Amino acid sequence: MKTVCWHCGEPLPATVVQAQVGGELRAVCCHGCRAAAEWIEQLGLADYYSLRTQPATKPELSEAAERDSCLAWQRDEVARHVVRDLGDGRRETMLFVEGVRCTACVWLIERALQSLPGVASVQVNALARRARITWIEERVSLSQILERLVRTGYRAWPLHARALDDIRRQQARDALKRLVVAGFGAMQAMMFAAVLYLRGADAVDVSAEALFRWLGFIVATPVVMYSAAPFFKGAARSLAARHLSMDVPVAAAIALIYAASFVEALRGGGHVYFDSVSMFVFFLLAGRYLEMRARHHAGDLVDALARLTPSFADRRREDHSLERIGIHELRAGDRVHVGEGGLVPADGVLLSPACRVDEALVSGESTPTLRRCGDALIAGSVLVDGPVDLRVERVGADTVLAGIAGLVERAQVERPQLARAGEQTTGRFVARVLSLTVLTAAAWSVVDPSRAFAAALAVLVVSCPCAFALAVPAAITRALTVLARCGVLVVKPDAIAALAQTTHVVFDKTGTLTMPRLTDVETFNDVSPEGALRLAAALARESHHPLARAIAAACSDAALPAAAQVRSAAGLGLSGVVEGRELQLGSSRFIASSRRLPGHADAILLADQTGVIAAFHVSEQLRPGMRDVIDTLKALGLQLHIISGDATAKVADVAAKLDIARWRARASPADKLSELGTMRAQGARVLAVGDGVNDAPVLAGADVGVALASGAEIARASSDIVLAGERLSALVTACRIARQTVAVIQQNQRWALLYNLVAMPLAALGFVPPWLAALGMSFSSLCVIGNALRIGRHPSGVEAQARQPEHAAAGAA
Amino acid sequence: MNAVLITIPLALLLLLLAVGAFFWAVDHGQFDDLHTPGLLPLDEADKDVDAEDVPP
Repeated sequence: MKTVCWHCGEPLPATVVQAQVGGELRAVCCHGCRAAAEWIEQLGLADYYSLRTQPATKPELSEAAERDSCLAWQRDEVARHVVRDLGDGRRETMLFVEGVRCTACVWLIERALQSLPGVASVQVNALARRARITWIEERVSLSQILERLVRTGYRAWPLHARALDDIRRQQARDALKRLVVAGFGAMQAMMFAAVLYLRGADAVDVSAEALFRWLGFIVATPVVMYSAAPFFKGAARSLAARHLSMDVPVAAAIALIYAASFVEALRGGGHVYFDSVSMFVFFLLAGRYLEMRARHHAGDLVDALARLTPSFADRRREDHSLERIGIHELRAGDRVHVGEGGLVPADGVLLSPACRVDEALVSGESTPTLRRCGDALIAGSVLVDGPVDLRVERVGADTVLAGIAGLVERAQVERPQLARAGEQTTGRFVARVLSLTVLTAAAWSVVDPSRAFAAALAVLVVSCPCAFALAVPAAITRALTVLARCGVLVVKPDAIAALAQTTHVVFDKTGTLTMPRLTDVETFNDVSPEGALRLAAALARESHHPLARAIAAACSDAALPAAAQVRSAAGLGLSGVVEGRELQLGSSRFIASSRRLPGHADAILLADQTGVIAAFHVSEQLRPGMRDVIDTLKALGLQLHIISGDATAKVADVAAKLDIARWRARASPADKLSELGTMRAQGARVLAVGDGVNDAPVLAGADVGVALASGAEIARASSDIVLAGERLSALVTACRIARQTVAVIQQNQRWALLYNLVAMPLAALGFVPPWLAALGMSFSSLCVIGNALRIGRHPSGVEAQARQPEHAAAGAA
Repeated sequence: MNAVLITIPLALLLLLLAVGAFFWAVDHGQFDDLHTPGLLPLDEADKDVDAEDVPP
């Protein structure tokens, strides 16, 4: 079977989508690719591209609720929060689009929306999964735009209008401009300086020398004034806050070298270092730019919350009729109606006699819990059976869900600044260099005042903290690349240093250590288990629910029939048409009551028009290879813990199977965080692994948070490292590479120290001419970069391992 | 030496133009997403469509 998407060439996810192209079924990675492939197929036949034929190939927009929620955005009270008026009838909004995986998706969304009359512009960013859309209000509405997206196979959430300002985009643009100015400046300054270095060798006379000094000044000025501005601003900020950050010594060094060179140029002296200062700024900016890009590629807390929080509520009027209103309009005391499978819009008290709710989102509990009249309901939980009415108690920022987001933010702020250690070393180093410079100047002004200035400047440049400043970024950048190849996406580069010093690992249980796995298929009415599984898998692969994925994964048949008119009821099940049969797949409550079977409360049932065909028994099992991963982690000297929100018996069972002695069950997000605090108080460096919303605070608060790529948006947004492909074995690789990286950083810093110990006394004694100082600086920087390139290449052969799947993929494609 | 007096200002002028062009490109979103547009032309299936993609 092929391992890459037939359409876009991206690796296939666990649940494969099939596209019908040229009478054959092809495996593609997402619905966008399927639609695009089939669309193009149609195009080849019709020889003409018309969007009007498009809806025929898409899954039907059959879910009335979906259309309803699109229509509700029409209301001004709701739209006000997400839409910005650009004047002359044009409106703008930012959407978070779920399901954007690759280029084909971007293409599809842009074409599909631009074909709507009235849509002025569409910009989709695949990495951020955001779409910025401008339209003319008279000709098209936001609801129509959202409906078109749903029809094309994507769900979209309008983000708060604040997202339009897009601070991150502005940041990225600024950083790129500064970097390029510094790069150009450094190149030019180096060129003009080269002439000065060759002084005396050839036809360069004295007036020409002055000319080249001033030329160096001209090109270095924008580098210092514009490119290095963030360092000066940062330094000013931290001085105002009476706190010494890394920016202070860096800004001081830049300003001193630049000012001193300027004075030298005025005096007509030979010791100008405009090239060194430009190069220094360029190297520093390059490191920062790479780190910023990695950070921006990660998920955003704003996006995560937009997805979790329901956008609408059905409020009961005085006369008991219902009106659909935006979540912002909801007030405490309102009476709200929630349908079966609906999301609870705000924290409240149940008014109906009883219901069962799935609070997995908040508590991590995997089975639905019973709530009786007067019990509290939590916003964001799914109503398993209903419908019910509730009285709203808390809305917006006061809800438990918003509280979790608050916990995440707080934990991020309180995170120990371990990785700053590297910067502190650099800071101390620069401080010493500065004092040595002053000492040199003082000593020379006693011995020979005419050489004091030149010698002091040489000390400053020869020691130019380039090698020091580069020691960390070069090694980290290399480690990031190697890890990305192994499927480990490091979101916050600081995490590598923290990862190397980890002593404890905290696992969440559900979804992290275990995953639901199909154990038994029971069939009725003479259906073969394989046949039943085939039908169920065809339906189940349309859903991302863990149980549906377990069923889809259990079916090895690659050529599954396509499912049409698929509808999902949250927390209950799926229905759709497969091979002409109207099928239902879900819990026994979901299956129409006339077809129910007694005694299958826990199983997932598959039913058609006539009755139940099969029952699938799914139980939680350890992820494959988990035992090996645990053993290897132990061999690396790590202490392992399980902290889960799930029931005691289940957690104990998993802990026993994995031979993990320390575990805790029934822990709320706040419990988990306090447990973490206790561990850290005892001096532990904690790595947390999780995938659920309830893990988010722990992931954010741990020294290193590791989330699974399949996990909840908010978990990924609050973690430092995201594991792609759900392989926890990559965690072992990550630990090893992190340790190697830290070793390389230490080597680099030792080398830089050694170089400086040799070079600085010489410079202080006045033996180092400018060209030698610049050469020495470049040489030590190159050594540092060369050493960093060894990461991931040498002892463990990780890179070789990581490359194998790439070759396999290339071979298949 | 006279040649240098002409070529250096010329080089600086070109540098200024290059930086100006780059700033313009950045401000017009040319560098916002370096990932997606790079892949678009590689997508063979898409290329067919682009050729045919005339507004109806």
